Amino acid sequence: GLQLVIQTSSITDKSKPFEFRINKEQSSYHNRLLQHDLEKNYSGRQDNTNFGSSSSITFPVLQRTAEEKLLNSDRLTLERQKLTVCPIIDGEDHLRLLNFQHNFITRIQNISNLQHLVFLDLYDNQIEEISGLSTLRSLRVLLLGKNRIKKISNLENLKNLDVLDLHGNQITKIENIGHLSELRVLNLARNLLTIVENLNGLDSLTELNLRHNQVSKDVDTLPRLQRLFLSFNNISSFEDILCLADSSSLSDITLDGNPIAQETWYKHTVVHHMMQLRQLDMKRITEEERRMASVAARKEEERKRESHKQTLLKEKKRLTICNIARQWEIQQNRIALVASLNQDKDNEPCQINGSAAYVFPEESRSLDTILSSAVQGLSVLESHLVEVEGDTLCLYGAGALECLDRNWSVQTAGIIVAVSFMFIEFDEIVQVLTKLKIKFPNFVHLKFKETNLVMLQQFNALAQMHRIEQLTVDPQGNPVVNFTLWKYYVLFRLNHFHLQRINGVKVTENDIVMAERLFGILAYVASSELPQYRMLSLLGESRRKQFHYLLEGKGKKSGTGSEESSDNRRNGGESTTRATLNYTTKDFHMEKLEEIKERKTFCQTYVENLVKEAADINMKNESLQKLWPQMFIELVRDAVIEIRNKNSYMKLCLQRITDQKQ
Amino acid sequence: MLSPERLSLPGLDYLAQRHVLTYMEDAVSQLLENREDISQYGIARFFTEYFNSVRQGTHILFREFSFVQATPHNRASFLRTFWRCFRTVGKNGDLLTAQEYHCLLQLLCPDFPVELTQKAARIVLMDDAVDCLMSFSDFLFAFQIQFYYSEFLESVAAIYQDLLAGKNPNTVIVPTSSSGQHRQRQPPNDCSPLEGVEASLFYQCLESLCDRSKYSCPPSALVKEMLSSAQRLTFYGFLMALAKDQGINRALGALPDKGDLFVDPAMDQELEKLVAQVSGLSISGPTSSSGDAANLPVRHSPRINSPWKPLHHRRKMDTESEGSNEETDSSEN
Repeated sequence: GLQLVIQTSSITDKSKPFEFRINKEQSSYHNRLLQHDLEKNYSGRQDNTNFGSSSSITFPVLQRTAEEKLLNSDRLTLERQKLTVCPIIDGEDHLRLLNFQHNFITRIQNISNLQHLVFLDLYDNQIEEISGLSTLRSLRVLLLGKNRIKKISNLENLKNLDVLDLHGNQITKIENIGHLSELRVLNLARNLLTIVENLNGLDSLTELNLRHNQVSKDVDTLPRLQRLFLSFNNISSFEDILCLADSSSLSDITLDGNPIAQETWYKHTVVHHMMQLRQLDMKRITEEERRMASVAARKEEERKRESHKQTLLKEKKRLTICNIARQWEIQQNRIALVASLNQDKDNEPCQINGSAAYVFPEESRSLDTILSSAVQGLSVLESHLVEVEGDTLCLYGAGALECLDRNWSVQTAGIIVAVSFMFIEFDEIVQVLTKLKIKFPNFVHLKFKETNLVMLQQFNALAQMHRIEQLTVDPQGNPVVNFTLWKYYVLFRLNHFHLQRINGVKVTENDIVMAERLFGILAYVASSELPQYRMLSLLGESRRKQFHYLLEGKGKKSGTGSEESSDNRRNGGESTTRATLNYTTKDFHMEKLEEIKERKTFCQTYVENLVKEAADINMKNESLQKLWPQMFIELVRDAVIEIRNKNSYMKLCLQRITDQKQ
Repeated sequence: MLSPERLSLPGLDYLAQRHVLTYMEDAVSQLLENREDISQYGIARFFTEYFNSVRQGTHILFREFSFVQATPHNRASFLRTFWRCFRTVGKNGDLLTAQEYHCLLQLLCPDFPVELTQKAARIVLMDDAVDCLMSFSDFLFAFQIQFYYSEFLESVAAIYQDLLAGKNPNTVIVPTSSSGQHRQRQPPNDCSPLEGVEASLFYQCLESLCDRSKYSCPPSALVKEMLSSAQRLTFYGFLMALAKDQGINRALGALPDKGDLFVDPAMDQELEKLVAQVSGLSISGPTSSSGDAANLPVRHSPRINSPWKPLHHRRKMDTESEGSNEETDSSEN
């Protein structure tokens, strides 16, 4: 065999000569241990070749001088020896401290015989796997920092372990250490841990170092843990380390370098929740800080509660609007929905409020019952919504119009600048426009979406407002927007408002002129060519005063249509020529038609009677005309015959007179 | 005026023919409706105004459809009013859908039925997609035929169907004879190689229809002339020809000739006045609330982009008269 004698040249400790010998003959004892190790490490592997080749592995054998052995009988330091394998240490079975720092060892081997080993230092090597320690039952300190260990394993027998240092490795999971009930210090810094787990059983642990990992959650707690180092991990929310608050032993914690430490509420929250802490991030926690922390924490809670409430409200609002939209859809497409429902009853995931605000006809009432039976867990949502968003009053659903009856504070009413209507029939809106005018005197912007604006006429109803500067008609649900001329008609009919914007687009002079050009004659005809009584009836009671002067004027001269009172115009009053262009809602119109029909039947009979009378008289007249010549002749003839005989006539007259007297 | 034929009719017939009773009834109805107002200025004046407006053709403005439809004169007045009010729309060159034309109709008569408009649209578009855009003149003339002669057209449609089915409505079918029954059971041959019906046969039926019908029909002579040019014709072809025929249009008397459709100088004058006012005011619009016109800066005349009229400002924007003097708008009178 080859004999290799190495002498260290350390200055401080010159009395540590080593001898390394490489010999091919292995002592059978070592061989057996070697094989045992191999078997242990590669249990399960059926590779016989390894065993075969194991006998040809050569290890350096270490021998110390007797002097050395005497001086440091229980400790052996093999630092920086450029070792690539653990040498066989001969005749040192009572060794208690073994130091292999700063070498290139890849596997822990050949130390199974050192059964009294208490301290084993393998810092800064190239060990990839924890192995070969199964016999070291006395081991109390195991330093495996700065290696290439990927997995914690094979520590089952090291029940006396007091300090386990595995920092600077590639460990991804904490495991197989639950049995180390004597462990006081566990260093897992600079590994690849993401979760802290499997620490149950480490009842003696007082210090746990998890710095520079990727930990984002902390799951377990330990009864004796006093110091926990979690610096430079990935903890970003306090909920993840909330469990630490339960630990009464924890007095020292570091969390710096985590995302959580960047938060404004970090220090306060940690201090507040972990009252037992004495040091945070290596700095003492003062009483002052503690007090401020509780105050801040309370404020934080308030804020969270508030924002939670806000989110809830927002969600509720969103759901309500969805509900209203659905009801609107159903109202618009009543029959279509019934048809489709008859085909797939169960697929309807709706949230219809059982007590819908609309009155449906017969077919939809059965629709309602079908739906409510198909729905599980009816969420009782509102069927209308009223909201003030900034300076806009938003009304969703027809029921919302009732809010105008409420008492609004002058302040709130005063700030409302815009009113938005959604999912409400325009005809219903028209009926409350006066109320709107009174309650909210300052609004200048009207918005309509899904309000069923279908006719140009309907815009006539807006003329009665005080002042509108902006009008927004959303194409959704308002077919009127598809007409080419709708904007011009609006500008024409509502020209007394001097609208600034329609649907967000600024109104230009050209637009106004064009509108007048298109519809100006309509206004002219509508005002100047109507007889007075028609004007009166069309204007209605309330506006007659406003146009009184015009009516007066009309009586005196004709063709006064285009005359405008600039006064009236300037005050924003309605242009007189357009005043007769009204809009009556369908229901109202039907009522009027009924009235008209009644009146008509009456008039018909009346005029019929007149005609009959007249025809009668006419006929009599005609008959008289025909008969009169004959009658006249007879009259004359009778008279002449009478007077022929003067004497007898005289006698006849006297006779008549006496007859009369009787 | 005192023509013998006029006086030859018995009283009631005469009244019915001239629809006098309709107007009387309506007048009384209007009187009842507005009795408070009318009692203020006298019934005599009311009747004057009423019949004046009937004569002028303005009585149908904003009235319910049942009245507008009641007499041929009403219908003609309505057509004329529609033309006058919306001539500018046509002049502007916009093509509108049937729906939009219907809207315009509704501005004048709120409960005008949509079916009539759609039927009119079908005439223009020859029964094709009813959502297409139509020009003002096309629509107006088709609408005239459809509205004025609606009952006539219905009968014509029935006649046309009969002719297509091979039945001649003029012949009397004796129910007992088997040949008659056989003819009745003959299926309609719409898909015959020749489209439509024979023109001359069609005309015969029309003539007899015109003779015996109570409602207004186009003058037979003109119809004959129209049909003389074609050998065969379809229903919508016939309607289209009716609509386009200027002779019939003139006979109706409601609308001007197609060429003059956009000409109405009196109204144009009025319109210019209105536009001038608006453009004058639109400049001062935002400052109108401040009230005093004298504070307005010197206004430049706006460029009115009119495709058919040159830019003239014969009515100068008189800054003073707008504000100071309410009574005399110097440019107006």
